[in-house]
Amino acid sequence: MLTPWLVGFILMWMIPMFISIYYSLTDFNLLNTPSFVGIDNYIRAFTKDKSFYQSLKVTFIYVLVLVPLRLAFALFVAMLLNKKHKGLGLYRTLYYVPSIIGGSIAVSVVWKQIFGNQGVIMSLLNAVGISQTTSLLGNTTTSLGVIILMGVWQFGSSMLIFLSALKQIPYSLYESAQVDGARPAKMFTKITLPMLTPTIFFNLILQIINGFRVFTESYIITDGGPLDSTLSYVLYLYRRAFNYFDMGYSCALAWILVAIVGIFTIVLFKTQGSWVHYEAGRE
Amino acid sequence: MSQRMKRIMAAALAGTVALSAGACKTAEPEQEEASQKVTEADLKTAAEDGDAKEVTIKIAWWGGQTRHEQTQQVLDLYSELHPNVKFVASPSGWDGYFEKLSTQTASGAMPDIVQMDYLYLTTYAKNNSVADLQEFIDNGTIDVSGIDEKLLNTGQIDDKMTGLVLSTSMLSFGYNPDVLAEAGVEEPTADWTWSDFIEMSKKVHEATGKYGPAMDTALDTNGFNYWVRQHGQSLFSEDNKSLGYTDDKICEDYFTMWNSLMEEGVLPNPDEYAQIATLGQEAGPVVTGDAAMIMEWNNYASKLSSVNDKIKMVTPPMSDDSDAKGLWMKPGMFFSVAETSQVKQEAAEFINWFINSKEANDIMMAERGTPVSSEIRDYMISSGKLGEQQKAMFEGVDEAAAICGDTPAPDPVGMSEINEAFKNAANSVYYGQATAEDAAAAFREEANSILERNNK
Repeated sequence: MLTPWLVGFILMWMIPMFISIYYSLTDFNLLNTPSFVGIDNYIRAFTKDKSFYQSLKVTFIYVLVLVPLRLAFALFVAMLLNKKHKGLGLYRTLYYVPSIIGGSIAVSVVWKQIFGNQGVIMSLLNAVGISQTTSLLGNTTTSLGVIILMGVWQFGSSMLIFLSALKQIPYSLYESAQVDGARPAKMFTKITLPMLTPTIFFNLILQIINGFRVFTESYIITDGGPLDSTLSYVLYLYRRAFNYFDMGYSCALAWILVAIVGIFTIVLFKTQGSWVHYEAGRE
Repeated sequence: MSQRMKRIMAAALAGTVALSAGACKTAEPEQEEASQKVTEADLKTAAEDGDAKEVTIKIAWWGGQTRHEQTQQVLDLYSELHPNVKFVASPSGWDGYFEKLSTQTASGAMPDIVQMDYLYLTTYAKNNSVADLQEFIDNGTIDVSGIDEKLLNTGQIDDKMTGLVLSTSMLSFGYNPDVLAEAGVEEPTADWTWSDFIEMSKKVHEATGKYGPAMDTALDTNGFNYWVRQHGQSLFSEDNKSLGYTDDKICEDYFTMWNSLMEEGVLPNPDEYAQIATLGQEAGPVVTGDAAMIMEWNNYASKLSSVNDKIKMVTPPMSDDSDAKGLWMKPGMFFSVAETSQVKQEAAEFINWFINSKEANDIMMAERGTPVSSEIRDYMISSGKLGEQQKAMFEGVDEAAAICGDTPAPDPVGMSEINEAFKNAANSVYYGQATAEDAAAAFREEANSILERNNK
């Protein structure tokens, strides 16, 4: 029963992975025979490539700003939806929709129109008297903000996970807190948050990994511009591979990204003990 | 998963398959050579017998819907005339075309005939992926007598004819006469200079509030190349390992000229232009009468004649203080034949017919750009089927030939990276993040390192 899966795994994952490790050590443009250059590609990335650092910078800012915002927003909406009122199912669906469609080309195009020079946002700003010559997307200081905003908007999957975790918190905890006269804010910080830490941890890891993989938004909306201010790491990698046919080098870039994500994950797991709260006996 | 990601995945997969195939290929080179010899021998016998062998030619090109339909008609017509030749066509848009082609090539499955761009011709030639067409020119299969020699030689790399040029284009300026008239500015003539151009642009803006010129001046290096050549120098050195011009002042002046026009609002800044570009060329400001001029290729007016038939073309401005011939005939696109192809002779016959036959050109109507054969150009002008703009374009080619200098050598490997570096350098000036002087120096540094890495 496992065989088809195993064959698929070996053919589609294992072999390409090992081949790409090999390519990362070669000079290869898809047409020539790869020539072995040792770790030259890695050295080139760290010592000679300004765009590499620019794309790293952009991606780090993206991840560090996006992930906390997205999680906070997801939790906020999850708490709103964790009550009983009319049309709850509809709301839950509506809030989840952006996560399904958000990564698509079509939405990116819409986003480009909304924030562009003649888009809705600029027209509204003009209407209230704030006139600007450059649009939010055409400005090197605000363009990344627009991309991040679009990322925050896709909070649905984290929200669903939070929602199910909220339902797991025993109601008796809140009842006894109420009896003791705790205010809602106190209940949130002393009951809800601690009980949610395992879920937050899970969401955090997931979203950081996702964040480092940002591609569609910066490719479609801004194509890395203006002036590389939205050049995400994966977009740069893609350009190296398919615009410049620098396959060996882009394989090296891919492995550097794997290492970065790996380090982030390991560090987060190390800090787990100090802030993630597991219920006694479940550890 | 988005379409784009799917495409990447597909490419990655194709790449993997390609690799295994490639591995087999290198392992058995002798066998393949042997089989090729057999085929050639077969061909000869077939020809001697006068009995045409059934062949299938795989052909790939990029383009829009019009080109796809026309080219398919041309292929059908050829099959009708030569019932033994069948085609397998792979039309595609520009996006993704070269991604697909390179994976196919890596796997040894390159189509027999491929439409090739100047940007990538050198890369394919250096890797010996494309066949030398000189033997077919020498044996009379491909008739090149109607093609300007300088233009024909653009396909020559390392003494091999790696691609046969199909069309030609020249850097030109398109203008909207109505806008110029509205501003009270006289229409430019072929002897106008850069200072005339700047003066006219400013006048248009002052009188009408519209843009003077409207284009992306940082899109690629073609306009800059023209500028450098007007200074009597070349963009790239002969060995393609560094920039060819020595004085960064040339580059600095170029950035400064456009930047000061932008600062005065005469020329759209990159942000404004990005918005203009999303409207598409048919709704561009020169077409709609919201700008006076545009730096473009000489097929601009004819391409847009269905939306605005008033646009006229003129050669780009002359230098104010030099006679150096900046203009050149740019090869539009090429047909290359795969080195791995088993049907090179048939492919060459088709290419000859494609370039030199009246019936093929009657269908295509110069959609790929001005045909290279002067006989075909004369034929099409006299046939009366051309629109006014197309006629002007065809005649313009012969006129401009007088002021054209040598065609620069084919683009070096890494050209798309150079374009990106140029775009970034120019935009850093336009966004006010660097002085023109610093940007010119940064471009040199970046370009030299790209060239050195790619042209060992």
